[in-house]
Amino acid sequence: MNDEHFFVRLAEKTAAGSVAADRAPARLKSRLYSALVAEQATDGPLRSLPATKAAGRPLCVFEHVLQGVPHEGIVSMNPCRVCHARLLAEHFEAPPIYWPHCPYVEFQRR
Amino acid sequence: MLAEEQALLDGVLAKDRKAAAEFVSRYADAVYGYVSRRLAPRRDLVEDVVQDVFLVALQKLASFAGQSSVVGWLLGIARHKVEDFYRAQLREPDSLPDDGEVPSAASTVTLDLDELIDAARAEEKTRHILERLPVAYSAALQWRYWEKRSTKEMAAHTGKTEKAIERLLARARSAFRRLWEAS
Repeated sequence: MNDEHFFVRLAEKTAAGSVAADRAPARLKSRLYSALVAEQATDGPLRSLPATKAAGRPLCVFEHVLQGVPHEGIVSMNPCRVCHARLLAEHFEAPPIYWPHCPYVEFQRR
Repeated sequence: MLAEEQALLDGVLAKDRKAAAEFVSRYADAVYGYVSRRLAPRRDLVEDVVQDVFLVALQKLASFAGQSSVVGWLLGIARHKVEDFYRAQLREPDSLPDDGEVPSAASTVTLDLDELIDAARAEEKTRHILERLPVAYSAALQWRYWEKRSTKEMAAHTGKTEKAIERLLARARSAFRRLWEAS
């Protein structure tokens, strides 16, 4: 078998695995989420917390408190930005965070 | 695209933070898996490239027509990012190791066909070798054979001559072959 043929066959043989198997680290998922939400917030407010809840997506304990505040700026803010869970989750693979419905906690579980 | 995926994308477009979290949860593994294999041996760059892929996806989300699956679309963006990396590696003058004579096309080939029968073993061995090669060799081989780019396309993307790309590939194949036979 010549070199060219060998490499063509090798690539075919090993191509299927290129999209499978590896799981992204939870701290990377945390970073991705933080980056996406920060980017979304650059050109206008995020979807409000009451609207998020109404769409069937449960809120974490901090978001739950904020969603009752009658101020558009507050209910559309991103409390994750100042949350200890975010800081821990972006730097450690299994941080001690346990809040229900916190995305950073969910990334550890999946 | 499934209705469920469309609903998720609609949520992300509406700046729903929980939809963004679900978007990451659902697709990060596939993008990470692809990028981490294609950037060998530069694993230190993988996370930044994956993040770039997601940020580009967010920028382009409104124009995604849904003609392919979401994961296919994301991997398309990832492929462009990986090719940017290959291009940069091959453009760097110092990244093209010149270790003397270019192996001849007629060099004796002793690669074992049987080694290719077991895909899992072949993949593990391939990955291990690609991680040990100089970055330019690894990038050139993956670009040519795994991303199926012609030498002409590689030359056009890097500003090198086709001949220079062929010489680089010959050296890269030779280095790969030595490690394959030794392991």
